[in-house]
Amino acid sequence: MRVSICIGSACHLKGSREVIQKLQKLVTEHGLDGTVDLNGDFCSGNCRRGVCVTVDGTLFSVKPETTEEFFEKEILGPLKEQGLA
Amino acid sequence: MVTNDATILRIKHEILYEVAKLAWEGNLEDGRDEIPYVISPGPQAQYRCCVYKEREIVRQRIRLAEGKCPTDRNTNNVVQVINAACEECPIASYTVTDNCRKCMGKACQNSCPFGAISIGNTKAHIDPDKCKECGKCAQACPYNAIAHLERPCKKVCPVDAITYDEYGICVIDEKKCIQCGACIHSCPFGAIGSKTFMVDVIRLINAGKKVVAMLAPATEGQFGPDITFASWRTALKKLGFADMIEVGLGGDMTAAAEAQEWAEAYKEGKKMTTSCCPAFVNMIKQHFPELLGNMSTTVSPMCAVSRMLKAKDPEVITVFIGPCIAKKSETLDLNIQGNADYAMTYGEIRAMMRAKNVILEPEENTSQEASVFGKRFGNGGGVTAAVLECLKETGENTEIKVARCNGAAECKKALLLMKVGRLPEDFIEGMACVGGCVGGPSKHKAELEAKKSRDKLIAEADQREVHENLKHYDMESFSMHRH
Repeated sequence: MRVSICIGSACHLKGSREVIQKLQKLVTEHGLDGTVDLNGDFCSGNCRRGVCVTVDGTLFSVKPETTEEFFEKEILGPLKEQGLA
Repeated sequence: MVTNDATILRIKHEILYEVAKLAWEGNLEDGRDEIPYVISPGPQAQYRCCVYKEREIVRQRIRLAEGKCPTDRNTNNVVQVINAACEECPIASYTVTDNCRKCMGKACQNSCPFGAISIGNTKAHIDPDKCKECGKCAQACPYNAIAHLERPCKKVCPVDAITYDEYGICVIDEKKCIQCGACIHSCPFGAIGSKTFMVDVIRLINAGKKVVAMLAPATEGQFGPDITFASWRTALKKLGFADMIEVGLGGDMTAAAEAQEWAEAYKEGKKMTTSCCPAFVNMIKQHFPELLGNMSTTVSPMCAVSRMLKAKDPEVITVFIGPCIAKKSETLDLNIQGNADYAMTYGEIRAMMRAKNVILEPEENTSQEASVFGKRFGNGGGVTAAVLECLKETGENTEIKVARCNGAAECKKALLLMKVGRLPEDFIEGMACVGGCVGGPSKHKAELEAKKSRDKLIAEADQREVHENLKHYDMESFSMHRH
């Protein structure tokens, strides 16, 4: 599963680094290191919706404080459905 | 430096400069539409068929400078085709030129195994439908009358990632592309470029963030014999960076960690590769995934220095500056924690400096962060020399055999041998650019042009050992491995 987090300046100022660190931790804690591919993204111009996170092409708006909820719902959930987690 | 793209480099730099100027002023949103008219004022076109095409190319280059894809076709690749600038070079590859004397020997015709050559009224003719591009005719002709036309971008790509669409416009196969950037400066029309983080870095500095510059080991010598790391520190601080650090120090760190790994692997009889060149790493990941287990798990010098800085101050933003395009892709790999936040080229940082009237001025070095071995990481063979030094310092066996691969073609060959179990050496040093990082696509001066200045600057450094140097840094505060 390809997960991309925008690392542009606007998203950075909205807390993208915190989102990244939380996702890195959650992925490792759930033993998903080879399954979830975490990538940085250049700014895609959706700055108002930042922090922009894309999961297999679908754009989500995430905040540092909603990262855990987002991980459960959009990453762990679908992976469990596919039997990958 | 004589290049294929001198005029284009000037135009690219002008555009980066205009974008940087507006970004520093905080006026990019309002001002970006004016830039095409500044660069190409008209009414006459300067290089292309019309002024409208020139302005569209400028518009696409501005998008790249801002880190966007040149068109609305959004892809993840760092290296991108500026399709308005691609001049659809002829694909037909063997062509008979006016040198043809329509001679009686007809060695061309006689040498062609496919019957593709006929003799026309004035010269020989190659039937493109029959030609299989074996090149025998070109070798046979005593007048050198048969030319091999190859698209410059396709010719230099080490992984055959350049293809074309149905209109003959260059398309990069992103599954194959290793982001080495070789194609960028090969194109005489400047139709390939890379996304930049320049605007992001400017905005973060403007927002008052603590941004630290990390300068590539290849830097010394690139800007003449008098431009030292002290010169860079002064200039970058004027620009708004909080500080500057030599990535050569990370070279020391990587060498020490890799030496340990190699020593263990050698005892187990396991062959290994280096992991510091990002284009080489991409080559293994995308073209030799079965060898991932043989790749050193040591992080790159860039990552080591970034982790050290972040262990000290978690708020710091780290920006790598060097001759490399592939480093941009390394910063995008978030499976590696704590790596540099952004990577930039010398051209991009120069545009940022020029836009603020900051220049590099001669200054004496008052401190030294890297050993000579770390400094030489940017030269082909430098990684091996540093690792051997570390093995020597720790009393390990230094009688190991290393394939020092100079350039992507040699890397590919060695990896292929390793894959089939026929690599004669024990280790591979992979450098995707010929000469090492000093031969990188975004170098300021060619390797030989910079050599004298580089040797002079490095000769001024003291002869400290790698481990002795690392004693001054808190190596326990961060991990030297990818996971």
